[in-house]
Amino acid sequence: QRIRSQNIVPCTVSQLLAAEQVDETFRIRDVEISQVTIMGIIRHAEKAPTNILYKVDDMTAAPMDVRQWVDTDEAGSENVVVPPGTYVKVAGHLRSFQNKKSLVAFKIMPLENMNEFTTHILEIVNAHMVLRKNLMSALRGPQSFSSAGVGDMGGYGGGGSLPVNGLTAHQSQVLNLIKNCPVPEGMSLQELKLQLQNMSMATIKQAVEFLSSEGHIYSTVDDDHYKSTDAE
Amino acid sequence: MGDVHEVPRPRIATAHLAQHIGKPVCFVGRVVKVHPTGKLFVLSDGEGKHTTVELSEPLDEEISGVLEVVGRVTNQATIMCMSYIQFREDKSPFDLELYNEALKIIHEFPEYFPCG
Repeated sequence: QRIRSQNIVPCTVSQLLAAEQVDETFRIRDVEISQVTIMGIIRHAEKAPTNILYKVDDMTAAPMDVRQWVDTDEAGSENVVVPPGTYVKVAGHLRSFQNKKSLVAFKIMPLENMNEFTTHILEIVNAHMVLRKNLMSALRGPQSFSSAGVGDMGGYGGGGSLPVNGLTAHQSQVLNLIKNCPVPEGMSLQELKLQLQNMSMATIKQAVEFLSSEGHIYSTVDDDHYKSTDAE
Repeated sequence: MGDVHEVPRPRIATAHLAQHIGKPVCFVGRVVKVHPTGKLFVLSDGEGKHTTVELSEPLDEEISGVLEVVGRVTNQATIMCMSYIQFREDKSPFDLELYNEALKIIHEFPEYFPCG
């Protein structure tokens, strides 16, 4: 199962260098990444006609090559080279060519407040920890969500926004009801609404759509009736 | 300058010097004093503990505020400095105590903040 991070993931250079490439995608400890941010010092800057090549050092490994393409038609701020010795935040895409990793940057910003650096290193730990937890949960598969024992959601992301077991609380509740429905044609949306007094029909429909697209449930006699794909 | 900047340099505080003897490290601290010869200065970390930093060539500029030093830990648990930069504090002061808390986190979770 793939867990793709849709966001921009803060990383260390060491993590990027260790990322495994499978076809067109990169994974850090099995979590797929594409857009990343790093923060480090510019050790070297080389200007070419179409691009600027920087070496950015965040102390976790050797400096990383960061390439920024320059718009040759416009004379603008993109053509200004950030001087070596400057701490910068780089946002870009990870690339690998002939086994050498590099970043193609779409944004390079000098840091004005070095406390952002402290925040960045904390965000790296948090992001990779949460991504790893999500991956582990998804691999274990959807589990029954009992209101009695929510268990430890961890301190990261808290509340209802962080999916547990790969599913949100609402999705888990809907799936659980569908799974436990003994009727051959499965559970209807109306029945779900009766059982889930706290959820609006819109929320229920959203959950059903998600579960269906992920393959946890399938429609039976019509689009209003669903059964679980898990044989129980 | 060369080699030390091509390898991983763990971020440490004064308390960790003993465990890194002979190794490249990265140390952040506030300037406490500079020796008149300019070949030695003392930094204070986020816990207020002092580390001595030595230079092979004397300083050619005034230093003050927060410095980030890259170097190797000597047998005497000082740092032989290979390079340093001053953290800019023109817009906001740097919270060294918070940085020290962040160090504790990255040391506790090396699987999420690998160094090397």
